[in-house]
Amino acid sequence: MIIKFKLNGKNVAIEAPGGERLIDLLRERLNLVGTKEGCGKGECGACTVLLDNKPVCSCLILAAQVNGRNVMTIEGVESDARLRAVQEAFVEAGSVQCGFCTPGMILSAAALLRANPKPSRDEIKRALSGNLCRCTGYEKIFDAVELASHKIMKKAASK
Amino acid sequence: MISVESYKRPETIAEALKLLKTGKFGIIAGGTDVIPQMRHTPARSLLDIGKLGLDFVRENDNTVEIGAAATHSQIQNNPLIQRFLPLLSTACGLVGSWQIRNRGTIGGNIVNASPCADSAPALLIYDTKVVLLSSQGRRSVNLSEFIKKPYLTVLTAKDLVHSFVCQKGDDSAGNSFIKLGRRQAVNISRMTIAVSLVRDDSNKITMAKIAVGSVFPTPTRISELENKLIGQIVSKELFDETADLAADLMIKASGVRWSTPYKKPVLIGLMRRALVGASGIKEIPA
Repeated sequence: MIIKFKLNGKNVAIEAPGGERLIDLLRERLNLVGTKEGCGKGECGACTVLLDNKPVCSCLILAAQVNGRNVMTIEGVESDARLRAVQEAFVEAGSVQCGFCTPGMILSAAALLRANPKPSRDEIKRALSGNLCRCTGYEKIFDAVELASHKIMKKAASK
Repeated sequence: MISVESYKRPETIAEALKLLKTGKFGIIAGGTDVIPQMRHTPARSLLDIGKLGLDFVRENDNTVEIGAAATHSQIQNNPLIQRFLPLLSTACGLVGSWQIRNRGTIGGNIVNASPCADSAPALLIYDTKVVLLSSQGRRSVNLSEFIKKPYLTVLTAKDLVHSFVCQKGDDSAGNSFIKLGRRQAVNISRMTIAVSLVRDDSNKITMAKIAVGSVFPTPTRISELENKLIGQIVSKELFDETADLAADLMIKASGVRWSTPYKKPVLIGLMRRALVGASGIKEIPA
């Protein structure tokens, strides 16, 4: 079946076979390899993308299921100011080591900051609990989300 | 890529029931369980219920009806559910991760019939009925009878779970939901306890509902405990005895197993904590 959806702000129309997962469509056919596959069963969150601004595991969705909807991947950092602010904060706070979890972390963090611009440390931990990191430890990642929150709030206030 | 024989995404319930009548289709909604399972099973035909409008939550006189495809996030944040079915809102908010709650549905949680399904004890507290549709018509089954044994329900390949009809909780009830896991979030439950209590001005318990997950082979209401509490004055002794009785009933049902030395004291402790929490009394009289 042909599916039509919005991907990082642009309209996409593409044939999607019934059993194709969203992550396979993104990585293998659209060459958006920023989205990573870790466990393939929804436990690690490396494959997180935003579906209508909410984080979901792209390894647990069929491509056909995003028909008519809005998908944002880490490549959307070019077109989305909030996502860019989070990415910059991750660099500044030293939150990236191997980088495999980073795209998913940034997307979950951006979704959190959209819903809750000034989250507490505990709210950050809960929001990112579906994203596993196996190298830096989480403290610097949580620092980055606090920094991004601060930056976004400051920018909004100066407008 | 997972292998599927065919994939259908009907836009009307009538069309879905016609396809299900062939008995060939497995149903997919959020996909959080179905997709990982399909990596290890032979190719099937999938019927996606995402376009059937089954993600509703609506209020009737004494009930709240929840469509089978409502997600855990939706249920967690829905004002009607927060008001009338608070234990269900809490339970769904503790399922998996944010990513999983955004996709996983209440229908999927129940149809899987896992002993540890988080939403089940909460639904049992609200005397939930499961509404099933098939080409034969509509029927409604008590949730307590819908789940027959671990991972098995009364559902046939021709049935579609349409919705869950929950009795509104008592406004004056105190509620407590405890989920025990190995960490604070993103957990498969080791044990879940849902308690709803109403007491009068003299601290006499006038209503008691207690349901547990991962204590018996299926999620279960424990009428023995409810009957023990109703009509009694809240006291430490009453709650201690009730918690002990819960452990006795668990051992009676499944025998002494390798996990019993852990589960028995944990069940007693958590049940006591849930009872105290639902009673709303800080200092329980001895």
